Amino acid sequence: MDGGIAVAAELQRPDRYGWFQTAREVRPLIPRGAGMSFAAASFAADTVSIDFTAFDRILDFATATGVVEVEAGIRLGALFDFLAARGRYLPIQPGHPAITVGGCVAADIHGKNPARDGSFIAQVESLKLFHPDHGTVEASEDKERELFRATCGGLGLTGIIVSARLRSKPMPAATLDVTRRRVANAGEAAALLRSSSAERDLVYGWLDLARSGAKFGGGYVMLGDFSARPDRGAAKPLASSRFSSEARARLPLPLLNRWGAWAVNGAYRVKLGISGGGSSLADAQFPRGASEMFYRLFGRAGFHEYQAIVADARYPDYLAFIHEQAKRLDVVLCLGVAKPFAGTSDFLRFAGDGISVAVEVPRGGRSDAFMAELDRFIVAEGGRPNLIKDGRLPREVADATYPEIERFRAFRRAWDKGGRFRSELSLRLAL
Amino acid sequence: MRTLVFGASAGIGRALARALAAKGHDLVLVARDLRDLEAEAAHLRLTLGVGVECLVLDATMPERVAEAMARLAPEPPILNLLFAVGMTSPRDTVASAPAEAAALIDANLVSVMAAVATLLPRLREADRGNIVGIGSVAAIRGRNANVAYAAAKRGLESYFESLRHALSATGIRVQLYRLGYVDTQMSFGKKLMLPMASAEQVADRIVRGLGRDVGLAHVPAFWAGVALAVRNMPWAIFRRLEF
Ligand SMILES: Cc1cc2nc3c(=O)[nH]c(=O)nc-3n(C[C@H](O)[C@H](O)[C@H](O)COP(=O)(O)OP(=O)(O)OC[C@H]3O[C@@H](n4cnc5c(N)ncnc54)[C@H](O)[C@@H]3O)c2cc1C
Ligand SMILES: NC(=O)c1ccc[n+]([C@@H]2O[C@H](COP(=O)([O-])OP(=O)(O)OC[C@H]3O[C@@H](n4cnc5c(N)ncnc54)[C@H](OP(=O)(O)O)[C@@H]3O)[C@@H](O)[C@H]2O)c1
Repeated sequence: MDGGIAVAAELQRPDRYGWFQTAREVRPLIPRGAGMSFAAASFAADTVSIDFTAFDRILDFATATGVVEVEAGIRLGALFDFLAARGRYLPIQPGHPAITVGGCVAADIHGKNPARDGSFIAQVESLKLFHPDHGTVEASEDKERELFRATCGGLGLTGIIVSARLRSKPMPAATLDVTRRRVANAGEAAALLRSSSAERDLVYGWLDLARSGAKFGGGYVMLGDFSARPDRGAAKPLASSRFSSEARARLPLPLLNRWGAWAVNGAYRVKLGISGGGSSLADAQFPRGASEMFYRLFGRAGFHEYQAIVADARYPDYLAFIHEQAKRLDVVLCLGVAKPFAGTSDFLRFAGDGISVAVEVPRGGRSDAFMAELDRFIVAEGGRPNLIKDGRLPREVADATYPEIERFRAFRRAWDKGGRFRSELSLRLAL
Repeated sequence: MRTLVFGASAGIGRALARALAAKGHDLVLVARDLRDLEAEAAHLRLTLGVGVECLVLDATMPERVAEAMARLAPEPPILNLLFAVGMTSPRDTVASAPAEAAALIDANLVSVMAAVATLLPRLREADRGNIVGIGSVAAIRGRNANVAYAAAKRGLESYFESLRHALSATGIRVQLYRLGYVDTQMSFGKKLMLPMASAEQVADRIVRGLGRDVGLAHVPAFWAGVALAVRNMPWAIFRRLEF
């Protein structure tokens, strides 16, 4: 299944509200959305995964405020289409339309400009959460604030998010003008990412990590703004994607060599070439094509992702370190993406002042040793790895990099007394 | 014009409601839990702009079903009746208690008859509309499982033959679909020997069939071959099968 980890777990797929009353399951539970996390966050051995995707409805929409209430199993693509038809959108979304709102809340995901927009919690007005010991509880910044903040980014460990009220924004235009700036080195990339983050609607760096020598750490910085030109027609509905966690798990041995990495990077380069210029908002939020092909390679034998925030000033050193360790351990770096971040981390929130770097390496060989090296750098430099992206991250690293992890544990002990919720991830990190 | 979907809160009925709403049908959704129906109704109103009424009913009580159907407002007229209601029980064996067997027969057969009998005058008056039944491959040949359910579904097939006969000279069209395995809560987690269709595929097929005179059709179509084989399988072999 996810993140290269296979366990025998049970799956239930409730589709009626009566399930919440009649469920007499005594085994531990864990909610599951689309199952698209790279870490094993929605299943564990001897644990019942609650697939929530049948709860996929739009319950309310206020035209005046743009607040939309949805069941947590709804997929972002369906919600995007609904909002787009009404001239609105959610600024903060991850990169695939099959991902569910429940998964976005629980992993408190970030979008295309986290430094300016923050994470998913910023657009959540309130939640309804089910826990067998507490029933269905409403939580927001004003009501049950601790529960709200622990649940947004709580990795499904506080209960099942049943529904959420989300704040959509007017969509200024259906297209984004995306400019692609060549950056010669890491320092230049960091400066451009930071200086652009205040105004741009989309900011990320694409690092040409498969290159070597002086070119390493350079690449492109993509900058996007909503088009000022008149729209060329309304947003097109998103075609449903056949990509799924099942498809990922079924993959044959992926491209595990340098040629594979080169091919993926090459394909991505072509894709970027196309998307430089006008890009529909849908394509910018959910890039498909070459990147989809790339993501298909995650899976049992696929890729490790390592995403961590490092301080702006340490960014060039971090990239140099990545380069050095990859060479030393003979690990092929495939794709690297950089994003500007800001803010502080409470509970398990992936936030912080700095630039996040996500690199992908093929699983196997000395990839574990490579990731352990990155752990060391990140711990020493006060960085922060993303828990939802890494199915391997050891507890000590999480303890050292999440200042409020103990507060999250304490909250869980009080709220989930019987330990009703757990996942492979929560067991690994002793959450 | 409105379309009534009995068993609209989940599975095939829910997929049917969505497919019908996408074609602009205003709907009456029927099932046992208002929370499910209201959520679906809100979704259909918001996303597709159709009118939706919810009706809470327990199909194990056919008298109540008839009463509630009679109270449905005459306008806009209800002209299509689709029965996706279905109930199974793990205790449905040859030894099940009378009350348990009766509940299964009522939910799967008698309530359908009660609803049709109550609303048929409205269809007759308009001299158009559709009545759609959903049978099951369980009705092909009785087995040592789903005993009352299979009997009810066999009864449903006979009842729809009667309906088709009774209405053959009218503008009302009758369709009965004998469904194979469909990926819903009813079949979730079961080990099945043949592939499952999705509820959406089945719903699309049924919606396309509206307006047509369908005696009995297998969905997915390959089940017609399976039905023939199972029906004609020598007893000496059939008795040994465990499924
Ligand atoms: C192609 C691709 C692009 C991505 N891009 C980004 C990105 O740009 N930014 C980013 O931050 N992330 C990104 N991600 C990661 C992804 O957003 C997260 O892993 C997300 O949590 C996946 O959600 P899911 O619906 O698949 O949930 P799952 O993977 O099934 O579950 C994820 C977590 O959410 C919990 N959960 C799910 N539903 C509920 C519920 N109803 N109630 C309570 N808890 C629940 C689970 O228990 C689990 O802990 C990307 C992933 C992919 C595959
Ligand atoms: N799934 C299969 O493999 C399969 C195969 C052959 C035939 N079928 C038939 O297909 C039809 C739809 O089944 P499904 O697979 O979609 O099952 P499902 O997901 O369990 O849905 C059944 C629907 O019927 C409603 N219902 C059940 N008992 C009821 C009762 N006593 N009173 C009122 N409503 C009741 C349910 O609503 P509430 O529970 O909310 O009341 C739900 O809306 C049924 O006729 C079934 O026999 C299914």
